[in-house]
Amino acid sequence: MAFDTTDIVLSLLKIAIVVGALLQVTPIMVWVERRGSALIQDRVGPNRIGPFGLIQSFADALKFVLKEDFTPGGANKWLFTIAPLFGLLPALTTIAVVPWGRPFLIPDAILYGNVSTIGWALALLLLFLGIIVIFSTVRVSSRGGASKLNIGVGWLLGAALVLGGLGVIAALAGLRGIGGALHIPGGNRIFEPIVADLNVGILLVFALASMGVYGVTMAGWSSNNKYSLFGGIRASAQMISYELSLTLAAVSALLVAGSLRLTDVVAKQTGYFVLFDTVKLPAWNCFSPAMWIAFVVFVVAAFAETNRLPFDFAEAEAELVAGYHTEYSSMKFALFFMSEYIAMATMSALIVTLFLGGWDIPWYNEPPTFFGFLLSALAFVAKVTFMLFVFVWVRWTIPRLKYDILMKAGWKVFLPLAIVNLVIVALFIAKGWI
Amino acid sequence: MIPTHYFLILSAILFTIGVCGVLTRRNGITIFMSIELMVNAVNLTFLAYARQFHQLHGMIFVFFVMAIAAAEAAVGLAIFISLFHHRETIDVDEANLMHW
Amino acid sequence: MLEFIIFFVFAAIAVIFALAVILHRNPVVGALSLVGSFFALAVMYVLLEAPFLAVLQIIVYAGAIMVLFLFVIMLLNLQHVREEHTRPVQQFLGYTGSALFGIAIVYYLAKYAAMQLPNGPFNADARAVGVELFQAYIFPFEMVSILLLAAIVGALLLSGRLPAKTRAAETEVAP
Repeated sequence: MAFDTTDIVLSLLKIAIVVGALLQVTPIMVWVERRGSALIQDRVGPNRIGPFGLIQSFADALKFVLKEDFTPGGANKWLFTIAPLFGLLPALTTIAVVPWGRPFLIPDAILYGNVSTIGWALALLLLFLGIIVIFSTVRVSSRGGASKLNIGVGWLLGAALVLGGLGVIAALAGLRGIGGALHIPGGNRIFEPIVADLNVGILLVFALASMGVYGVTMAGWSSNNKYSLFGGIRASAQMISYELSLTLAAVSALLVAGSLRLTDVVAKQTGYFVLFDTVKLPAWNCFSPAMWIAFVVFVVAAFAETNRLPFDFAEAEAELVAGYHTEYSSMKFALFFMSEYIAMATMSALIVTLFLGGWDIPWYNEPPTFFGFLLSALAFVAKVTFMLFVFVWVRWTIPRLKYDILMKAGWKVFLPLAIVNLVIVALFIAKGWI
Repeated sequence: MIPTHYFLILSAILFTIGVCGVLTRRNGITIFMSIELMVNAVNLTFLAYARQFHQLHGMIFVFFVMAIAAAEAAVGLAIFISLFHHRETIDVDEANLMHW
Repeated sequence: MLEFIIFFVFAAIAVIFALAVILHRNPVVGALSLVGSFFALAVMYVLLEAPFLAVLQIIVYAGAIMVLFLFVIMLLNLQHVREEHTRPVQQFLGYTGSALFGIAIVYYLAKYAAMQLPNGPFNADARAVGVELFQAYIFPFEMVSILLLAAIVGALLLSGRLPAKTRAAETEVAP
């Protein structure tokens, strides 16, 4: 397999984009969770730090860093320390096999014309946001009553956005001034927006998801605390049980695509179902009647895998203090906290890829250029954002039932449903209806 | 491409380590883990030969070996648990009921 | 060149973790080292052009069997078990016997087992394995499912946790 430096640079760029995006999920989701839960519960939520409480996440991060990091007496130091890393491992690595945009042809030379539209749009967006932030800061400071921190942050953010916009305009002017072309060695090549297009794609997700069980078990056991042990055992038993339903529900989508690669799964969903000879429905797997059951089972199992309500017996704030992360403080707790949100984002990305059409924009054939890639990546991010909002919405809507009901449901309801759906999909494929 | 006998030598080393663990340790769980190590070494040999002769039969056999090892681990650990409940120890030298 | 570096690094990792399994006295450390060894072996399987089996190794061995081991060790509180040295002769014989066995095998393999490498691609992905499994090996496949059922029933019976029975004396879980 011949690969040259441009391939290596492109791979590093992809990894940087994907991991960078995932690491931004935690601060944004903390804000969404707190303001979203406030919206659902008819209260205001954090609004003191930054406009609309947007800087709250940074305040939380600062608090985590400055807290004392101790290990409880009698705890197994090694396992106590490496348990959060096992929690972070599946969340950050399984995103490698998810396709997040349309593959496009990188031209041999990047001309001013290729990037001008995007560049100007980005510059105008940054300038617009900067002007809004500066305007609201001026209004808040003239009205009085806001803390100096608020006003200072507002000025800084506004200045950063305006300067960013002006910088993009300068880069565009520079590119035009060069006389046109930045040449890419190696000629035309296709940019595949997926970090690792394995031929056993989704099995890697399941393999690494089963590593998450180690983090929870080791955290609960090594804390030398009964509540942690109970929380850890409960959480790991729940994760192991729902992994089965997750796998079997995903297999339905894979059967239709006929391959384990996630790029093939998304490619199969780019067509249309034509109903009554007039209505064209995008051929996403959630619209196909053979896979409705699998969709529901997969979403429920995703909730159980990420330990989110209504399946958060691991934390169970009213019962077990804080479950398996009771004894954790400072950065180790921050790692658990982060890994929960990043796992949520990865599961949402998987739900979108398997059932909601991946990067496909409905009723529009994106051209295989950079512009089409950007639109498809935006569509993917929009769908993942919607699923993340559904995660938050469900958390604050549905109550937590009992643990034994959860385990019975996992084995006696969701697993048989997933198997039944497998049979239905096989029937549809055999009869040629899909 | 890596020559096949490199994999065979690695497999032999892992198998030897497993044999050593079974013969010298007295903790039942450790003996069980050494047995799993031996099984994995044999899996590696199967796959090395499957690649050498370009046949899928080696891979199918590894598939079945994995399934059977899973079943064996479940039943074996259940036996250890019941042994522990009766004797409060997991030392295999203490499980000598047939020896007066 | 890169393949050789990967092979030697991960072979060293597999051997070191395997040695940690048999030499360390704490079974929890042994179990986690075995997980590390299985990961290194999965990399070996990928080098042998069997990616499907590599991922299956992680899912089944590192993700399920070793979790079972860890559960048993943690719930039975076995990490404090200390082995007394009451049989030094047998331990010595065990070490030397297995060392001789190992040296003999490695020597003869290195001397006689060199083979010519095959050329051409080897298509061993999930589809090929699945086709073979469901055509030539369908009978063992069904028998393995019955065997797994037997293992489930056996494990339930042996650990004594049938739902209808009331348990008189429960072992207390003390962390």
